[in-house]
Amino acid sequence: MPYNIALVSDYFFPQPGGIESHIYQLSTKLIDRGHKVIIITHAYEGRTGVRYLTNGLKVYHVPFLVMYRATTFPTVFSFFPIFRNIIIREQIEIVHGHASLSSLCHEAILHARTMGLRTVFTDHSLFGFADAASILTNKLLKFTLSDVDHVICVSHTCKENTVLRASLDPLMVSVIPNAVVAENFRPLSHAAYPTEFGSHPLPQHLGPHDTITIVVVSRLFYNKGTDLLVAAIPRILASHPNVRFIIAGSGPKAIDLEQMLERNVLQDRVEMLGPVRHEEVRDVMVRGHIYLHPSLTEAFGTVIVEAASCGLYVVCTQVGGIPEVLPAHMTAFAKPEEDDLVAATGKAIAALRANKVRTEKFHDQVRMMYSWTDVAERTERVYDGISGVLSEADFYGYEAADAASWSATRGRAGVQSFALIDRLKRYYGCGIWAGKLFCLCVIVDYLLFLVLEFWAPREAIDIARNWPKKRKEEPEAGDHPTPASTFRR
Amino acid sequence: MVPTQAPLTSSSATTTATLAPLTGSTTLSTLTAHPRSVATDRTLLAPEDAIYQQSPPRKPPSAVNRLQNEKALCMTSGMNGDIAVPKRGRHKSRTGSGSRRRKGSWKRLLWVKQSYPDNYTDQETFLEHLQRNPRLQPYDFWPLVADSTVIVQHVCSVIIFIVCFVGIFQDRVSPVAVVGWGSFATFLGWLLWDWWLGQEDSPPRHHPPPGLASPPYTSTSAAAVSSPNLPIHSPTPIRHSHSASASSIHSTASQPAPSSPRLAPNLPSPSTSQPLSHRTSLRLSTAKSALLIYFTLLGLSPILKSLTRSTSSDSIWAMSFLLFTINIFFFDYGTPAPSSSGKTANKNIPASLSTNAALMASTVLASRLPSTGQVFSLTLFSIEVFGLFPVFRRYAKQRSWRGQVALTSLLVVGTGGGVGLILGRGGDGEGILDFPWKSGLMGVFIGVVGTGLAMGGCSWWLIGLQKYKNEIHGPWDPARPIIRRHWEDY
Repeated sequence: MPYNIALVSDYFFPQPGGIESHIYQLSTKLIDRGHKVIIITHAYEGRTGVRYLTNGLKVYHVPFLVMYRATTFPTVFSFFPIFRNIIIREQIEIVHGHASLSSLCHEAILHARTMGLRTVFTDHSLFGFADAASILTNKLLKFTLSDVDHVICVSHTCKENTVLRASLDPLMVSVIPNAVVAENFRPLSHAAYPTEFGSHPLPQHLGPHDTITIVVVSRLFYNKGTDLLVAAIPRILASHPNVRFIIAGSGPKAIDLEQMLERNVLQDRVEMLGPVRHEEVRDVMVRGHIYLHPSLTEAFGTVIVEAASCGLYVVCTQVGGIPEVLPAHMTAFAKPEEDDLVAATGKAIAALRANKVRTEKFHDQVRMMYSWTDVAERTERVYDGISGVLSEADFYGYEAADAASWSATRGRAGVQSFALIDRLKRYYGCGIWAGKLFCLCVIVDYLLFLVLEFWAPREAIDIARNWPKKRKEEPEAGDHPTPASTFRR
Repeated sequence: MVPTQAPLTSSSATTTATLAPLTGSTTLSTLTAHPRSVATDRTLLAPEDAIYQQSPPRKPPSAVNRLQNEKALCMTSGMNGDIAVPKRGRHKSRTGSGSRRRKGSWKRLLWVKQSYPDNYTDQETFLEHLQRNPRLQPYDFWPLVADSTVIVQHVCSVIIFIVCFVGIFQDRVSPVAVVGWGSFATFLGWLLWDWWLGQEDSPPRHHPPPGLASPPYTSTSAAAVSSPNLPIHSPTPIRHSHSASASSIHSTASQPAPSSPRLAPNLPSPSTSQPLSHRTSLRLSTAKSALLIYFTLLGLSPILKSLTRSTSSDSIWAMSFLLFTINIFFFDYGTPAPSSSGKTANKNIPASLSTNAALMASTVLASRLPSTGQVFSLTLFSIEVFGLFPVFRRYAKQRSWRGQVALTSLLVVGTGGGVGLILGRGGDGEGILDFPWKSGLMGVFIGVVGTGLAMGGCSWWLIGLQKYKNEIHGPWDPARPIIRRHWEDY
């Protein structure tokens, strides 16, 4: 059953990043599966109005004040009129918000519930519980997710985190991982692809004296573990003479890294590339043998999947959702400690030199593990579950007898009730003061909705024509490389 | 309506008791508490939970195991395959419901295609690595009361200083008497200190190694302030911190601008006085610096007197109140751990901030006084109260518990009496029961009772508040990188 879906997030192209590409890939695959998908984001510089991307993907760039790092200023209600207009114009049935720091997404979920639509939220990041910023974000998340139909997390650690942060029923949280477009991350020489002109494949079997190149592709921030990297690189290079480093990425910690290089006179063994574009990441990765990922927190870690897909052996810290992502024969785990990282890298180098790691098989294995088609299928099942196509027993996995009993979390037929009083009940439990405040917000939102219905009646809003769809009869054979690089910048 | 708002209950906390066991709050409660309890019972943590909840900190398995463990499918979970076993056993023994687990079924991995739905929640492993209050230490009543004496002492000494100022300001107390008694008490304290030092020296001790550069200079700069010497032979870091505050006193007292302790003049290095015995040289340098302070203050007093002539008194009262508040809140009440030398460097800053605030407050207060002698007396008294007395108190607390109690009671009585005398008008001949010390005695009585009630009440309150402590840690927290050397040390 095809749905009309709106993906809402502050983060979308032309800004580069993991969430942006997640939204794009997911929407493309959902369109391939016959759904109608639009994307609502805020206006970027040079991107305003409505745009069509490949495959008839329509993007609404809503003009909003950008506050900090592409996040719009949280004005709880000001988004409602234009949002309602878009939703009615595009006949949207499901609103799917992304990223917990995006205020656009939170507002969209609130308004969509007021308008009586199904909502899904995808969480891409991990948050602690201790610092003030996290407490504020968690309260906001609790507000939005008090009345949401389903939540998707990218890893099991992320699910635990989100369940705790927003006080959710674990059954209404699904784990659907990210994926990679394996064709965009292929090793230098692979049987399935034509060999690129002029490229010399790396020797498959490394001798004891061949040079091993370690690649780091990461934004150089504190939470990406650059301090660990700065501490570990001199020791790794000191103990392994035939090792080189390639570091791509920029950030505030780049200065530390450069100072370390100058202090230890390692410029000829460490190559710093500076910022690279996403489509160039593969070309950097295939120059190396080992991918080093010293991050301190990571919900999923798409980049290590990309590295493994390029045929690199992955050395990474064991934090967040990283241990769930790759099988043990592709990775060497380290504790987030300098000594352990050095030791794990040393073991990885030794294993490569001893030819114990079959890196040439990694690409096909990763291709079997992660694909966006699979992600889209699993997301579609979530849509089925919340729209009542799947029965509650099927979706939530317990007996219908239990389902008959009333629950504040779920109404009848496995879907949440839209009645205002039921919604208020859910919001009221958010806290002694916050609950009342949230209820007030919801009531104001509802009044705003009534005013809008009167002021701009539904009949006066044009219905947008759908993008003409080529009926593809054959099922998807697999991922075909998306022409993402044509517009990604 | 949900009665409590503890973060571990789902929004459906009141109704989940009737639901299937897979709903949110029951899942959480089976994981964190006893199996059949209603979630609302266990939302608040009692201090005794610390006994059960103290699981070892999360230790990921070493990379050695991980490299050898080539067959990833054998692993039950992606992370911490080895540490999960004892925890799971503990869960079983506590809940007695471990039989629900299907053998070899669900794996906490993303790269395996599993036959379970995406929203499947494994009851065994879900929130397995959640830690609540991993570092909770339940408080006991009497140790808490005993620890609060430190705060009481400091607050009392601040109040006594203010009482003395008011007395001088209203011409009720002679400034010479104040500073005389203060200096006499300081001298007694120094004698006591010297005697304690002698006791400590009687077992043969070695000088600190030359690598530890800080103990000699901090102690001598503190000794330069005036009477009490810092014990040079016991390199516990507690002395580092107050010596630093004392040295900052010195710099503020002797120089107009506060400077770092390194700039303190006349540092007699301990090695220069070889012919004399070590303690004799310390005594000599103490006497020398006391004289220096004395004469510097004497010279500065006329300047201080006219310092704030153009400022109105109201601003001065407000400002000194603010500064004393800063002093009380930023004072270093802690007893440093005996082994961490790195922490003391951090503790210098708040201590010196507090001391400087107090000295500035006393300086602006002194500038309200009309005569040079009064200014000199009050400033000297403030150095004794805010610079030297905290150092002595801290050392005395370590030396004898009985002395601590006696000192606290003395201070409380003195404070109560002083405040009573300042506020009341005893001896003015009204009523039958009138006698000169009536308001003072009343103050003592109210002060002692009030302080006792406050100490006990606050301790009891703090213990009561501890059950609301709910600190959640888990694998989602950003890891703290352990870096052996900072890169600057290369």
